[in-house]
Amino acid sequence: MIMSGRSLTLSVNGKTHEITVPDHKLLLDALREDLRLVATKETCSLGACGACTVLLDGEPIASCITLARYAEGREVTTLEGIEKNGDLHPLQKSFLAHNAFQCAFCTPGMIMMACGLLKDNPKPSEAEVREYMAGNICRCTTYHEIIRAIQDVHNFA
Amino acid sequence: MAKTETNGLSIVGTTPVRLDGVEKVRGLSPYSINTKVQGMLHAKVLRSRLPHAKLLRVDASRAEKLPGVAAVVTRDDVIGRKDLDPYYGVALLDQSIVAIDKVRFVGDIVAGVAAADAEIAEEALDLIDVEYEALPAAMDAREAAALDAPLIHEAFRMPKRSYGDLAAMNSIPDSNVPYHFKLRRGDVDQGFQESDEIFEDDYFCPTTQHMAMEPHVCIAQWDHNGKLTLWDGTQNPFTVRSVMANLFHIPVTKIRIIVPHLGSGYGSKTYPKLEPILALLARKTDGRAVRLELTREEVFYTVTKNGAWVNIRTGVKNGVLHARKVNIHWDIGAYCDISPRVVKNGGYVSAGPYKIPHIYVDSYCVYTNKPPGGAFRGFGVPKVAWAFESQMDDIAQALGVDPLEIRMKNVVGEGTIFATGSRLHSVGFKPVLAKTAEAIGWGKPSEPAPPGKARGKGLACIIKSTLTPSTSSAFVKVNEDGTVSLLSSTIEMGQGADTLLSQILAEEMGIPLATVSRAQPDTDVTPYDLTTSSSRSTFHMGRAVRLAAIDARNQILDLAAEMLEVSPEDLTLSEGRISVRGNLDRGLALEEFVQGYFKTKGGNILGRGVIKTEGGKLDAETGQAEITTAFWFVGACGAEVEVDTETGDVRVLDFVSVVDCGKAIHPELCLGQISGAAAQGIGQTFYEELRFDNGQPTNPNLLDYSLPSFMETPDRFTSHYIENPHQEGPFGAKGVGESSIGATAPAIANAIFHAVGVRPKVLPMTSESILALIHEQQEQE
Repeated sequence: MIMSGRSLTLSVNGKTHEITVPDHKLLLDALREDLRLVATKETCSLGACGACTVLLDGEPIASCITLARYAEGREVTTLEGIEKNGDLHPLQKSFLAHNAFQCAFCTPGMIMMACGLLKDNPKPSEAEVREYMAGNICRCTTYHEIIRAIQDVHNFA
Repeated sequence: MAKTETNGLSIVGTTPVRLDGVEKVRGLSPYSINTKVQGMLHAKVLRSRLPHAKLLRVDASRAEKLPGVAAVVTRDDVIGRKDLDPYYGVALLDQSIVAIDKVRFVGDIVAGVAAADAEIAEEALDLIDVEYEALPAAMDAREAAALDAPLIHEAFRMPKRSYGDLAAMNSIPDSNVPYHFKLRRGDVDQGFQESDEIFEDDYFCPTTQHMAMEPHVCIAQWDHNGKLTLWDGTQNPFTVRSVMANLFHIPVTKIRIIVPHLGSGYGSKTYPKLEPILALLARKTDGRAVRLELTREEVFYTVTKNGAWVNIRTGVKNGVLHARKVNIHWDIGAYCDISPRVVKNGGYVSAGPYKIPHIYVDSYCVYTNKPPGGAFRGFGVPKVAWAFESQMDDIAQALGVDPLEIRMKNVVGEGTIFATGSRLHSVGFKPVLAKTAEAIGWGKPSEPAPPGKARGKGLACIIKSTLTPSTSSAFVKVNEDGTVSLLSSTIEMGQGADTLLSQILAEEMGIPLATVSRAQPDTDVTPYDLTTSSSRSTFHMGRAVRLAAIDARNQILDLAAEMLEVSPEDLTLSEGRISVRGNLDRGLALEEFVQGYFKTKGGNILGRGVIKTEGGKLDAETGQAEITTAFWFVGACGAEVEVDTETGDVRVLDFVSVVDCGKAIHPELCLGQISGAAAQGIGQTFYEELRFDNGQPTNPNLLDYSLPSFMETPDRFTSHYIENPHQEGPFGAKGVGESSIGATAPAIANAIFHAVGVRPKVLPMTSESILALIHEQQEQE
């Protein structure tokens, strides 16, 4: 019963993975359970809080309401995939410098959503950050620190 | 030989990068949601769909036969057993591992299944046949307190041993009131007779949920020697351990609880939640581990913040508060959890941080057929502060006095006797209020509002106690390479305990912060700590860590003195090096000392620190005590709002929160706690309410239960602290995590009052409710 399913090829963080999963497997669960990429988190299971945000062909999506099969043939990027040569990504460095987290359970989703923002808008205003990030909840409410961290990113690539 | 409180500090008071920071921005913190145990099974629980019903039949025989099911637990597994108590609870033994005779809320646990995967477990739940006989439900705390209300619990079972502060619990027999807290000081009738003017109002706060981003997750496993291990996202493993020991009639040494980092808690992960049913399921799996992760909906059924109805009557004489009578009905849901303590602590702080000679409080803990309430950041204070700080501005308005001035005139200070009869220390209300006023631009008019809108400013302040009596302990291990391990059971749940406890250790011992490493809390390894809640860790564990550091340093200097043939007084330990005073070339690195002393490759110097606090036991009839709390929280908030008089929409333009922190060990983490609490308060102010229809929760999910997001956070939002050292706090520090949450809603409501003249009394303040008040006011005019 656990092994039932069909073969699926997922390209995640530049690596190709072959997994066997049922058709209803969610991308979030495929990442966390099958690929053991556990940075991505689940909170609401409804696409309402942003904790599970990953990039699909560079665009942020809620992996908790996305079927794994939907990602076939596309490039998935998770928080684990944005570090380069063991160096923290500029957003990670900025979150660290600004204490833009407390429990940090929402942080992977925040950073991935911010990747989506900065890709199109490298110098967002505070209002633009708020609006773009509005779907990401931080219950420790470090919102102001996160805004500052996103606006203060250097060398975003 | 402790370091002086403020002189020469090099690590305390600075803002190093969080020690858990890199792993956190990499998404690699060890949360319990990421914990796996080889071969583990997955559990699901069957929950009641009725708010109150007799259980006529529970038959799990079909579920047990489903392939892949390893264990099922129903009431048949808990009744009439010699090796098991079915009932548990920390204040009253009112909760059973699974429902026995009745279910008492929608979500009450009726059965549990452990299976090869979660889907099979879920499927098995559908095969459990349950027959209910519906009973009338009690959903309103005021009605449920009446003697003719449907009785939710037929008896009150007291535990053999309780907490020091809950030892005397008055209950009302054959009612839904397991605890009635009373405070009697002065003569309140006389006080009202002497008053020039009396103000009486009713305030309401709804049931809400903590909404920690990480759900409750636990893994349980019994080994073949009868030892239970829990990998548990809990805020207080030692409390869970003692409850489990009582349930299963085993010594605490047969229970090991390992606690990963928490995707936060805010009180929701205190006291047993999933552990009893999970441990019983695991006991039927022949040694296999069983994991239970709650769905988001189930989190709403596991613990809530109590709703409360507050009737408050205040008499004023010659412009000062003279008498106060408060009557509170706390809606605690179907089980007590720790609500009696909320009822007690929330009861006595309803006096507010004010000098009032005549005070009379009745605080009722009332069962209803709702999910159990429990600890939530603020612990009762936000509900009563909503009432007394809103009413304070009505009083100021009636007397024609400035709201800041009336607070300054009535507020308590150093040495004031509080409503509980205890003398106050380290309560910097005046500087906190002054800073709040300055930061919000008090006395300066708001910028003119656009047409159809009105602006106003408001402020509010709170006083809060911490859990007392309590205890914390810590060990320090100095290792052979000069590194130092800190063993303490404070849970890292976002507040930054790893960092600031390490700062205290490094500062006191005289070692670099980078050489300190904190062990994972584990009841088999790290010493006892009562709980990571009540914002108590900095003050309590900070003191224990400091004592352990002093103990280790003194041992090191005594032993090094022999090695160096000098007296210990001639030695210093600084930056990890032992030096002879006046001759800095003579000395030893910590690493050289440990290896030189033991003359082997390894060895440990062990430091220990244990603290306990006294007090907290209030007289059962009068609520009086010599010592109420180990320290007092002092906080205030100021708000500037813009109210749209056509829609009732309220925008917070500026929000400030100010706290007396004693001493900021890590200023940025300190400010983070202050602003985090205030911003959660904004959620409670405008958005959050768990709603019910005929006992059925109607919004237990994040689409329908609104939380503040980036869009709802005020435009300007600043936090400040003042440092008014506490004589017992480590380097003068005390807790800060809850000082601002209680003052948030009344500060905003007072700003609305000053903008448009309406007085909100019901939380959350929706646009509709503000608009209705504006319309009501227009009709009266």
